[in-house]
Amino acid sequence: MNAETTDLSVAAKGISIREFNKYYGAFHALKNMSLEVSPGEFLVLLGPSGCGKSTALRMIAGLESITSGTLMIGDQDVSQVLPKYRDIAMVFQSYALYPHKTVGENIGFPLKVAKTPKAEMDAAILAAAEQVELETLLDRLPGQLSGGQRQRVALARAIIRRPSVFLMDEPLSNLDAKLRGNMRAELKHMQNSLGITTIYVTHDQIEAMTLAHRVAIMKDGELQQLGTPKEVYSNPENLFVAGFMGSPPMNFVEGAIANGVFTADGVSLPTNQLSDLSKVTLGFRPEDCTVVEKGQGQLDAQVFTLEMTGDQSLVTFRSGDKSMVVKMPKDFEIEPASYAGIAFDASHACFFDTDSGQRLRPS
Amino acid sequence: MKYGLFEPRKIGEMAPATKVVLYTLLLAWSLFVIFPIYWLVITSFKTPAAVNEGPFFIPWVDFKPSLHAWRDLFVYDLADTMRAYFNSVVIAFSATVLSVFVGSLAAYSLSRIEFAPNLITILYFVLLLIGASVAIGVYGADLWLTLAIVVAMFFLLARAVGRLYSVRLKNGDILFWIISQRILAPIVVVVPIYMMFQSVRLLDTHLALILTYAVVNLPIVVWLMFDFFNSIPRDLEESAQLDGATMIMTFREVVMPLSRTGLAATTLLVMIFSWNEYLFALFISTSKAQTLPILVAAMNAGERGILWWTMSVAIIIMIIPVVALAVVLQKYISKGLLVGAVKG
Amino acid sequence: MGRLFLTPAVVLILVFSIFPLIASLVMAFTRIRFTGGGFKVRYVAWRNFDKQFFGSEQFHLLGTFGPLSILAWVVGLAATLGLFWWLYRYCRTHFTVVGFIGRLITFAMALFLAWLFAATLLSGRQFGTVGTTLFYVVVGCGLQFLIGTALAFACSQHIRGSRAFRVIFFVPMMITPIGVGYIFRMLADTSKGPFANVWQWAGLGDWSWATDPWAARIFITIADSWQWIPFVFIMMLAGFESVSKDLNEAAEIDGAGKWMTFREIIWPQVLPIAATVMLIRVIEAFKIVDLPNIMTAGGPGIATESVSLQSYYAWRSLDLGSASAIAYILLFITVVICVSFFNLVVLARVRAKP
Repeated sequence: MNAETTDLSVAAKGISIREFNKYYGAFHALKNMSLEVSPGEFLVLLGPSGCGKSTALRMIAGLESITSGTLMIGDQDVSQVLPKYRDIAMVFQSYALYPHKTVGENIGFPLKVAKTPKAEMDAAILAAAEQVELETLLDRLPGQLSGGQRQRVALARAIIRRPSVFLMDEPLSNLDAKLRGNMRAELKHMQNSLGITTIYVTHDQIEAMTLAHRVAIMKDGELQQLGTPKEVYSNPENLFVAGFMGSPPMNFVEGAIANGVFTADGVSLPTNQLSDLSKVTLGFRPEDCTVVEKGQGQLDAQVFTLEMTGDQSLVTFRSGDKSMVVKMPKDFEIEPASYAGIAFDASHACFFDTDSGQRLRPS
Repeated sequence: MKYGLFEPRKIGEMAPATKVVLYTLLLAWSLFVIFPIYWLVITSFKTPAAVNEGPFFIPWVDFKPSLHAWRDLFVYDLADTMRAYFNSVVIAFSATVLSVFVGSLAAYSLSRIEFAPNLITILYFVLLLIGASVAIGVYGADLWLTLAIVVAMFFLLARAVGRLYSVRLKNGDILFWIISQRILAPIVVVVPIYMMFQSVRLLDTHLALILTYAVVNLPIVVWLMFDFFNSIPRDLEESAQLDGATMIMTFREVVMPLSRTGLAATTLLVMIFSWNEYLFALFISTSKAQTLPILVAAMNAGERGILWWTMSVAIIIMIIPVVALAVVLQKYISKGLLVGAVKG
Repeated sequence: MGRLFLTPAVVLILVFSIFPLIASLVMAFTRIRFTGGGFKVRYVAWRNFDKQFFGSEQFHLLGTFGPLSILAWVVGLAATLGLFWWLYRYCRTHFTVVGFIGRLITFAMALFLAWLFAATLLSGRQFGTVGTTLFYVVVGCGLQFLIGTALAFACSQHIRGSRAFRVIFFVPMMITPIGVGYIFRMLADTSKGPFANVWQWAGLGDWSWATDPWAARIFITIADSWQWIPFVFIMMLAGFESVSKDLNEAAEIDGAGKWMTFREIIWPQVLPIAATVMLIRVIEAFKIVDLPNIMTAGGPGIATESVSLQSYYAWRSLDLGSASAIAYILLFITVVICVSFFNLVVLARVRAKP
């Protein structure tokens, strides 16, 4: 059987989510979410657990009803359509492989349900298995496979239907760290070559950054920011996104702006025409600053620890109950408990309204 | 889009036809379950005339409810009723405690310690027992003397036999042996048990029934609790042992509290079986230790035919405590049984 | 120290289970006569068994034999051929000595029961207590399994009032078998029971189910099922609820309907549990004694008498030797059937599960 005879690529469809709401009784799980996904795009829903990202995905899949709002796949309204008629495939966090079916039967199940002729089905199974390099394991049971292999079976079962949309619910979270890295690369490659519109849910920002064309960050059922990985990283819309993205996350200093100048304990920084506000948070990324001699930088603090991560050193400062982290080159040395200064590039600093959390922009 | 009859109209809802089928099934069965109980309850409030003159269904409409049957049992025959009730409570409760205690100990040791008994030694013991039975039964040898000889022979020669021939069994074999005791129909063992209790003058006592019920239910306890103990992570016990706890302390302080669910299910099951048991009670308890099932069955013995009204009362007072217990513990039962069932 | 934990259980079982078992075996080969204060025991070799299988009690245990009808020949020969083929296929595929001996015993038992069935019932005669017991086991357990599983599956869906249904369905298991027997006798009364009007209307007002062998057997089976369906229900419910929700949803997304999901995904998952539940029920069903004793006293004739009940009646007439012999016959049949079922069905299912 020749894999070339079975073409797995499809005409990708866009997805349009309009004012999604989900209530569980009185609990408002998803609040007015709107989102457009263009055909062939890889969109990642990112957020801490309980933020509603999985709920949103399950609503798109049709596993949860949509309390209010509209879901379009392509140019069709599928808000009330059963999952099997939505032309989607989903990869579950647990993979949801049928334990009593062999790898081949698992992959072929969607076709069996659709009553595909046997020969055609076998060809499709082989093609899908080759896509994920499983063709030698077709007769095994899922219980006899490693985690990574099970992951591939789940993927193969999803691609065999040639769906117009791919949904993935934390598909890599059950793998160990090294395998996760490999699978990430493979997923990206596969999505690229098949060109299927994909919505991917994760709480792991590295996955989001590496895989996504665009990232949608969610919190408490609300969409916080939508943009390319670069945008959400370097241009956070609010305090939550700033604090969530990046590892270690952004450093924050609380102060106030008066006469266009930000002031806090020992810090004084000119801002770019920001209007005055009494409670302002200044944020800057650990890699945008350096450790300098005491008194030489914008602020001084006491060194708490120095951590080596191999390719760099993380210096943690403590002042009061706040801590700040600075990324330094790997051969950097400093005495714990000594005092040092932190210097940062003011052009990369972000200012947020402490109360509302919103980013302050020049008016 | 057109949907089939068995396809849901909306997401998260059931298909209309599925709904109709499921609810019909469930409601029909509820009716089938409830109606006999309803009939039992109203019969207990009927006068003999109301029972004998044909079917009456609704109290106050069809017939005038009367408390005479309840009075019969609780005023005129109060002593008999209370004695049977008391017997049943004491016997079921003690048998359950004994069975669950002994069975849990056995299950725990089977799930934690490697045993390797020698099959040949066991066969030797069984052979001795057969010999003793033949000697006592057929040749009329003295019971206690023969048993003493058997025990002596066993301890004298067991080691020698065990050294010469050795076929080691595993824990699984012991477990299987204990569980397989459940295959024994009571009728197979009840006659010798009857004679045994007769020979030690324990017939018609609480102790006889307690011991019998405890043993009969032991397989259930061991089976359920073994799976339950196996599902408890060993780290906890190991850490308790590192803290210096003995095995008994570990069992009492760590294992028992963690197996509450399994214990509840097992206890309830054993309690039900002991409470409702009939055949052994029929053989072993003749008057003094008579339990409730025997009391119920005795309602059939009068010359006037079956006294349906008082019998209904007796059955009702018999099922109230178990039903109450079961409703309270229902959630534990499914959870507790699940551990055993899922593992097969 | 921990080894002592096992001791009480073993001692109790030895004293109250193994010793009586052996004593019962010895008694099966003796005749016991009560004299004044004590009793006399006499060794009679196989005579107690002989009486049951070939002598005066043959009609009671096995049934009345007559010339084989054509139907009996057909069924008997078909069963024989089927069994031979089964054994042959086993020898051809994966032969082991122990496995072969085990299957040979199963084979012999199945052959015996098939011909017993052919020579009695299918030839227009009555079958004995063995046939009746098997009827209770096969029909009763089959019915209980089907209905119990259906109810459990229904309750495992998102049903309003599912908790109430669970409690209600569970109740019959709590009721003493004696009570169940009497309750169903009340219900079945054709002149005073709740369905009296229905019986009158059908022209069966004077008819009594207790006088018709099949009606009586079926009635006992219904009562038994009423009591034991809750057990199947609760175990299967636990089984259905243990099937991962993800698998259901994956099947839904893969396009499978309810029936397809059940057949392809859920059922294979609960099969090992189902086999275990069935085994437990079969073991218990072989012991049936309370219901026939209460509901019909074994009648009409011996139509509803189970082997256990026959043994009990033998004991009541002080024929302890026969009582033990009958009990041992029951034990033998039970053990062969249950062990066969365990090895050929339950273990196979459990092993098939990854």
